[in-house]
Amino acid sequence: MMKKNTDVLIIGAGLSGLMAAAKAADSGKKVLLVAKGMGALGLSSGCIDLWGYSLDHPEEICQDPVQEIIKMVAAQKDHPYAKVWDVLEESLSFFQQICSQNGLAYEVAEKGNWLLPTALGTVRPTYLAPAGMAARELPRAKNILVMGFQGLKDFYPEVLTTNLKNNMNLPADCQLTTLMLDLGKIELSPNNLAYLLEKDEVLQRLVSQIKPHLAEEMVILMPPVLGERGHTKVLLNLVESLGVQVYEVTNIPPSLPGQRLQQALLHHLKKQSVEIILGCTVIGTTVLGEHCTEVLAEGSGKNLTIAAKSIILATGSFLGGGMEAQPGKVIETVFHLPIKVLDEKWSAKEFLSLEGHPFSKFGIEVNNHLQPVNSQGEVVIKNIRVIGANLAGANYPIEKCGNGVALATGYKAGKLVGEV
Amino acid sequence: MTTDRAQVVVIGGGATGTGILRDLALRGISGILVEQGDLAHGTSSRFHGLLHSGARYAVKDKEAARECIEENMILRKIAPNCVEETGGLFVQLKEDDPSYTDKWISSCAQAGIPTEEVEIGELRRTYPVLSPDIVRAFRVPDCAVDGFRVLWSNVNSARQYGGQVLTYHKLIGIKQSNGKICGVEVANQLTGEHKYIECQLVINAAGAWAGEVAAMAGLEVNVIKDKGTLVAYNHRLTNQVVNRLRPPGDGDIFVPHGTITILGTTSITVDEPSCSKPGQQEVLDLIKIGSEMIPELQNFRMIRAFAGVRPLYQAGNGAVGRAVTRNFALLDHQQQDGLNGLVSIVGGKFTTFRLMAEKTVDMAAQKLGVDAPSRTAEEPLTNPISKEILERGKKVFGVAGAKKAADRLGDNFVKVLEEAEKEPHKCKVFCECEAVSLAEIDFVARDGDSFTLGDIRRKTRLGMGTCQGTFCSYRTLGALSSYDWTRNHKEFLTKFLQKRWKGIRPVMWGQQMREAQLSTAIYCTLFGMERMK
Amino acid sequence: MTQGDRVALDNCIKCSICVSHCPVARVTDKFAGPKQNGPDLERFRLEEPAAVHPSIGYCSNCKTCDVVCPSGVSISVMNCKAKGEYVSLHGAPLRDKLLCRVEMMGKMSRLAPSLVNVLGGIKPLRILGEMVMGVSSKMTLPQYAPKTFLQLYKPQSLANCKGKVLYYPGCYVNYNNPEVGLALVKVLNHHNIEVMVDQFECCGLPIIANGFLDVAKGHAERNIQKLKKYAAEGYQIITTCPSCNLTLGRDYHELFDLDTSEYSVMDAFEYLDQLLEQGELKTDFCNVSLKLGYHQPCHLKAAGSGVPSLAILQRIPGLQVQDLDAGCCGLSGSYGFKKEKYPISQEIGQNITRAVQEMAVDQVITECGMCQLQIFHLTHQEVIHPIQILARAYKL
Repeated sequence: MMKKNTDVLIIGAGLSGLMAAAKAADSGKKVLLVAKGMGALGLSSGCIDLWGYSLDHPEEICQDPVQEIIKMVAAQKDHPYAKVWDVLEESLSFFQQICSQNGLAYEVAEKGNWLLPTALGTVRPTYLAPAGMAARELPRAKNILVMGFQGLKDFYPEVLTTNLKNNMNLPADCQLTTLMLDLGKIELSPNNLAYLLEKDEVLQRLVSQIKPHLAEEMVILMPPVLGERGHTKVLLNLVESLGVQVYEVTNIPPSLPGQRLQQALLHHLKKQSVEIILGCTVIGTTVLGEHCTEVLAEGSGKNLTIAAKSIILATGSFLGGGMEAQPGKVIETVFHLPIKVLDEKWSAKEFLSLEGHPFSKFGIEVNNHLQPVNSQGEVVIKNIRVIGANLAGANYPIEKCGNGVALATGYKAGKLVGEV
Repeated sequence: MTTDRAQVVVIGGGATGTGILRDLALRGISGILVEQGDLAHGTSSRFHGLLHSGARYAVKDKEAARECIEENMILRKIAPNCVEETGGLFVQLKEDDPSYTDKWISSCAQAGIPTEEVEIGELRRTYPVLSPDIVRAFRVPDCAVDGFRVLWSNVNSARQYGGQVLTYHKLIGIKQSNGKICGVEVANQLTGEHKYIECQLVINAAGAWAGEVAAMAGLEVNVIKDKGTLVAYNHRLTNQVVNRLRPPGDGDIFVPHGTITILGTTSITVDEPSCSKPGQQEVLDLIKIGSEMIPELQNFRMIRAFAGVRPLYQAGNGAVGRAVTRNFALLDHQQQDGLNGLVSIVGGKFTTFRLMAEKTVDMAAQKLGVDAPSRTAEEPLTNPISKEILERGKKVFGVAGAKKAADRLGDNFVKVLEEAEKEPHKCKVFCECEAVSLAEIDFVARDGDSFTLGDIRRKTRLGMGTCQGTFCSYRTLGALSSYDWTRNHKEFLTKFLQKRWKGIRPVMWGQQMREAQLSTAIYCTLFGMERMK
Repeated sequence: MTQGDRVALDNCIKCSICVSHCPVARVTDKFAGPKQNGPDLERFRLEEPAAVHPSIGYCSNCKTCDVVCPSGVSISVMNCKAKGEYVSLHGAPLRDKLLCRVEMMGKMSRLAPSLVNVLGGIKPLRILGEMVMGVSSKMTLPQYAPKTFLQLYKPQSLANCKGKVLYYPGCYVNYNNPEVGLALVKVLNHHNIEVMVDQFECCGLPIIANGFLDVAKGHAERNIQKLKKYAAEGYQIITTCPSCNLTLGRDYHELFDLDTSEYSVMDAFEYLDQLLEQGELKTDFCNVSLKLGYHQPCHLKAAGSGVPSLAILQRIPGLQVQDLDAGCCGLSGSYGFKKEKYPISQEIGQNITRAVQEMAVDQVITECGMCQLQIFHLTHQEVIHPIQILARAYKL
């Protein structure tokens, strides 16, 4: 059987795992990252949501997410942010730094949170937005042009304009118009389209279709398909050719912004000599006393044992496969760590309940060092750190804090194992 | 208030009601069917979709068994696109009483149901998922049947002969004068408008609501409401119906249905006809019993649970649940209660809906002085689709897409195909789990009978597969956003997602929990739809 | 369908991650993508085996879908079987039947390898081949070596034998690029490890990728018999070709449900990595001052054991190795030789061309022979196997 040795083993390739790997490698550790597949980051918005709405006035957008989180953790000691608020700001700047090194600039809003449009015409609060989504001029726009593509089955300009009128405070005289662009394709997947738009001649064809529709003080909104790896260049080209601001909006997966972030972080890790094995599932563990000495992984029918000084568990929640729901119980799939199930009812009656679903909060409890603890607060396995959606206590879909928690916990775990 | 006129008003758009409307129309009797929701609002969309061979009832009720096999053969012939001729198996496990098997074989023979023993080795090779504890197995002519399709085929056929249908119309009053029915008042559930329909005869085919309808005429019809919960699995576990060879009980039938398998059912008496909430405990009970026939059952993915209320008729008071006969009763309220112009048809089962309709319309015809005989057993509900059309369809929609669309659309398939050939962009698959194209969705959306995304779902199977509508509902909103009735985007999506959620919650384990988290991530995290205005 | 296959099918949550990483679906709308061809239609195939999307022929069998799937769905197995079903229903062009028989072509070219190479370079002949057979006239053909690896291989008697391996060279090393095999033998002998070779059949991967599953299954059954025999005699089976590795080690079992539990297959560098782990890898490296770009073949990714050469190459003084991180090269064996797929194959490969230019590397290394050919075709730079660098570092 194959054997591998490493300082730090990270299980999971979502945002938290990638951040942990980046920080641990930054501290000079030998890092191995294994994951069952590409993490859920590629399904995400590509934005970093920290905290969406005000604690005191839940109907209002939170204006200073970092301060709001500090206020929140004072009351909610079980929230994952309560374990990492001390490194929140440094984790954000670390993130911005490695992203920009890899060609992906993130921007902060003037008022703390962006309020960005989605393909459904709703708006979502977020803290860091990729430059191509950070629609700064939108609230003051006189003209908004929403462009879709013939053949792209997951984006409809009329849906966006119809609902944006009701969901965003736009100037009274703001004109919303729509435009369908035609590349002569019957069906276009977002990735295929993004690839095509990286070609100059295709982009210029678009430009000539858009130009007759341009107007004064116009902002263009479009589906997130402006290029894959060469996104920044495509965006700049388009903005320059049109002379107006163009922004991508959040859409359902498969959607490029999350994938671009994932690719940028993976690229960064490869440059840092982090070894990455995808398609590799941890199926067994050896725990001696309070330490996990090695894990058994299975990739493509082959087994592999991995010995590591520190292990970072970033396997995600149910969606990521870190937890599995069975009738009456929830299991942590790798180490069988204790899971805190917070409510007898797992889900709310209403799918779109404003309170969210109890299952979102299920997860592993940790101490301030992100080590897993049992219900008595005792550390279960000392050389494990738990990060990301695995953690108990956050109501991600409602609080709008998923990527924020992943980023900060990942960073802190990477920092902690760097000190071991 | 507008006034309409017809000889007969049929209350209830289930299998029986639509069957009656068709039978009336074929005999030249004018009829209007009134349904409070979409067709199949009640029990006809909430059963396991089994077209019984009758073998299940052979021992206990030979009469019912004989009716089943006869109707089974008729439906195969007249509605080929609604019936999947899967065949069925009855399996006897080690612990089952062997003497029951013997009794069952001879009872089937007496009822005219062909049975054929299957060699156990062959059974295991064909279906390794089945229990190794099966000791004997028999083939019977069970089939899978699509309730929605049968109902719409009935209506389409009735319409060709002048039958009319008012869906989303609720009965609010039955008018009588001098001991005779003279009309009904209905309210449009979507617009709130009221309508009066003058008629000579009202047929109460309201299923679980039959008691409520009778009460409006001041009469009593005793319907026992027996709730049955069912579970839909993500794939075809077997290609044949599998029944347990023992006296009928809970959780002992698996029906392969297109891409899925339905396991059913439980039996609990409830008070409300609309009590269709599946319970989690009932699901667990089903898995437990179902595992006896398919030991790996717990590892296979459930996509949703649903429940229906069987309207069982009991003349007096007495037996409940499975002890009540599954036979139907035709009540002539003139004879029984002295009220002229009201007939109730209660009880029975989906398999025999046509026979029930025939008997009911026989009575109606006699009352109206019409002597035309029933033609529903001979005249096809839908015409078979030619090989040539199907081949053309395959080029446009692919093998799976064409076959499924042809089954779903029946006579309308050609129209959809021609549209898709003219506008190739409509070939795009919108519901990827169930292979439903934009062309099909758009056609159904324009048929005049679609008012919600749920209506499109029932006609196309959109959103009924693995992801339970997470991806295709948003897409469909976009494609249909120019239509008047989709104008409230929030409502259009929310209502649909909520209905799907109701079925997902009781089976939210394993992969379906992951799917639920993905759909929450899409609609809350990405779209913030919980705060949508 | 086994119970495990059914569970794997149920695992798909339709997240589309496979679609967004599919190198083919990315550059063309001709392929409906791995999800639709795989798990989506698989549910229909349980009732109707012919429910195969006609675009299945555009699947290049790179297996990226398997690697990225977060749900453990064997998408590529579903796609391979679907392609098999499609070919058995509709047949395949003669070209596909010939292109996939790399072993047969290798044997035929033995008659006069240099003549074959010359003929392959004559443009009008290639154009004729494209018109008549549909084999792209633009793609660089692999060159046949004057002598095969098996002819060149000389067993060494080792005084102090520390281990024994059976080396499965695969068709490309045997007929086209024996240098790789020879380098491996030198490196292993340098560590006192005995290398055994034998006449094997083609692993069958090109045959699988073209949809002739029955033929490939025959190869599998016969190869398994031999592999089992060597494993029983204590030989560790190793390959230098990631695709052979994956086929022997995984596809035989997953695709044909054959028992492969009696042997295990390792990539040559996985084997060397184990020596490194045990402290037995020699470190008498000389300085190799080169800046290398490393391309990870899709099938090595799919083998789920990372980049086994990385740890060793990093120990060679002077050597700089950078991951090109440019995804699939696009050739996928016979795929890129087909007239209608050549443009797709070249489009996919553009990321590699770009990465090689941007990183300004001296040379590109990669394990897979087909990737080597494609990168040479794209960049006109010679591409070699990492084992050749290692042999150089040992001055062998």
